[in-house]
Amino acid sequence: MKDKRAIILTVLGTIAFAVVPFFLDVDTSYFAYFLFLSFCYTVIAQGWNFVAGYTGQISLGQHAFFGLGAYTTAIIWLHDITKTGYYFDPVTMMLSGLVPVILAILVGIPLLSRLRGDYFALGTLGVGEIVKVIFVKGGAFTGASDGLHLPSTMFESMKPYYWTGLILALFATAVVYLLTRSRIGLALRAIREDEMSAAAHGIHILKYKIFAFAVGAFLAGLCGSLYAYYLLHINPDAVLKLDWTLYPILMCVIGGNGTIMGPIIGAFFVTALFSVSNIYLVQMHPILSGTLIILVMKFMPRGLIGLIDTIKSRR
Amino acid sequence: MLEYLSFGLIIQLLVNGILFGTMYGIAAIGLSLIFGTMRIIFLAQGTTIIFLAYICYWLFTLFGVDPYLSLILVVPISLLLGAGFYHALFKEAAALEDKNISLLIAVGLMFLVENLMTVIWTANPRSILTTYTSLVFRPMGINIPFTRLIALLMAVLSASGVLLFLKKTLIGMAVRAASEDMVSATLVGISPHRVNAVAFAIGIGLAGIAGIGVATIYPFDPVYGFIFALKALISLALGGIGNVYGALLGGILLGLIESLASFFLSGGWSDAISYAVFLIVLMFRPEGLFVRAMLKT
Repeated sequence: MKDKRAIILTVLGTIAFAVVPFFLDVDTSYFAYFLFLSFCYTVIAQGWNFVAGYTGQISLGQHAFFGLGAYTTAIIWLHDITKTGYYFDPVTMMLSGLVPVILAILVGIPLLSRLRGDYFALGTLGVGEIVKVIFVKGGAFTGASDGLHLPSTMFESMKPYYWTGLILALFATAVVYLLTRSRIGLALRAIREDEMSAAAHGIHILKYKIFAFAVGAFLAGLCGSLYAYYLLHINPDAVLKLDWTLYPILMCVIGGNGTIMGPIIGAFFVTALFSVSNIYLVQMHPILSGTLIILVMKFMPRGLIGLIDTIKSRR
Repeated sequence: MLEYLSFGLIIQLLVNGILFGTMYGIAAIGLSLIFGTMRIIFLAQGTTIIFLAYICYWLFTLFGVDPYLSLILVVPISLLLGAGFYHALFKEAAALEDKNISLLIAVGLMFLVENLMTVIWTANPRSILTTYTSLVFRPMGINIPFTRLIALLMAVLSASGVLLFLKKTLIGMAVRAASEDMVSATLVGISPHRVNAVAFAIGIGLAGIAGIGVATIYPFDPVYGFIFALKALISLALGGIGNVYGALLGGILLGLIESLASFFLSGGWSDAISYAVFLIVLMFRPEGLFVRAMLKT
């Protein structure tokens, strides 16, 4: 029963978002840009949610995967590698998701087998910084600190961005939902609760952790690809900055970590807050955001989802 | 590049590295104390250091207070700031099992302070110029800037001070006990809030000293703090968590690595090298490089 209701609500919500471009001029409306950004953040946040919320491995290196996805798109396009049209090309986007997966597996094997908890978080932070230096120092191949310029004449309308963003957000949510409902999800939660006991029950800890880490990297990379199409000028400062890790984490935690709706609520809430303060309080915006993070963490450590649950249980 | 290499140059690089690294080390000691009792990675440490550097800058430009004289004002301010941070922000979060919350509060604090500084002091780099800023000693042809020498001295003195405090005073012993095992420490009557607040106060107090060191040596701007915090974290990992001298040595080691890497490779790579060393140490010696193996049973 509950499942059916959730599916109906999701379908209705998706349709409602999907028809927005027919009523609103997406190219000029700030609201549509806000929705696009929220979709992007939902994708990364769901990925982080899967790694940290469900598996308990806090990754501080999502920006590396995001940036790698963006750069993969740009490099495939500029070097004419797949010969498939490139602009909003599913093959390019898929590859942009898969390259971060390769990195996730390569660094995941040593990091996840040896590091736990805070140490893993610091390790991923280190990986992120190394990736950034490699791209800054990459010479002509990565365009160094100036980055890569994609053919900007391709940009015609915001509409494909909007819909692709929506599809990716839906895809990310569906992937995380289905995975957490499967045997894999059960294993991952067992690992989060008690690694030792999970191992004793025959769960191959390292394999599952790497799997979760790779899924998070894949989603971040996909989103990076979309964002590369949006920016059309990829440089390390734009796509490899730590904000791409910190904001999604903020969204997950404010929304409610380890729940399927939490990252979505968080992404919309935080993006809305950032957008509003960006318009009305230009210089004060990050100050307000910082204050809000502190207040939410101090008074509602379980996030907005927790708040909703508390209200429900009181009734 | 190698044809310029001489014995004197190597010594100079090593000296630069040591002098450079003491600032990281002193920040790392603060992080280590805070992590020790609360298991919180206080990511806002670097930003706090820069904030205190700005306070020192203000005292100098507005009231003409000598940067080293301002120690007697900045250190008490930062001790109070630390206790204030704990009571206002981390008191509840420190007791929770989920450490993400305190990590995020630190991130929020970092955002807040960083941008507050941008509003007050603008994003342009600031520096303090006194009569002794460009003073350089040249024993045996090696350049040793006066300000860096003083910074080294301050770092060694404060590290020894903290160590003495932890070893000799009752509250210091309580902090050490709490770092070992908070539950048992509570059982023998140590108030967790008190030791946490003391650890935080000393951690930020050290940030005050580091802030003055930074203010007298480099030009600084608001966003420099985050990089500084990362460097302090690396030093902490190199030195081993909960080890005062280890953290200082870790900072010096990091300074050496950076100094050598930026000479033999180009400047940008030195960051990648230090992170790579950080990763390798995390993986193979997570207890740090300077901990004797028998301490852990």
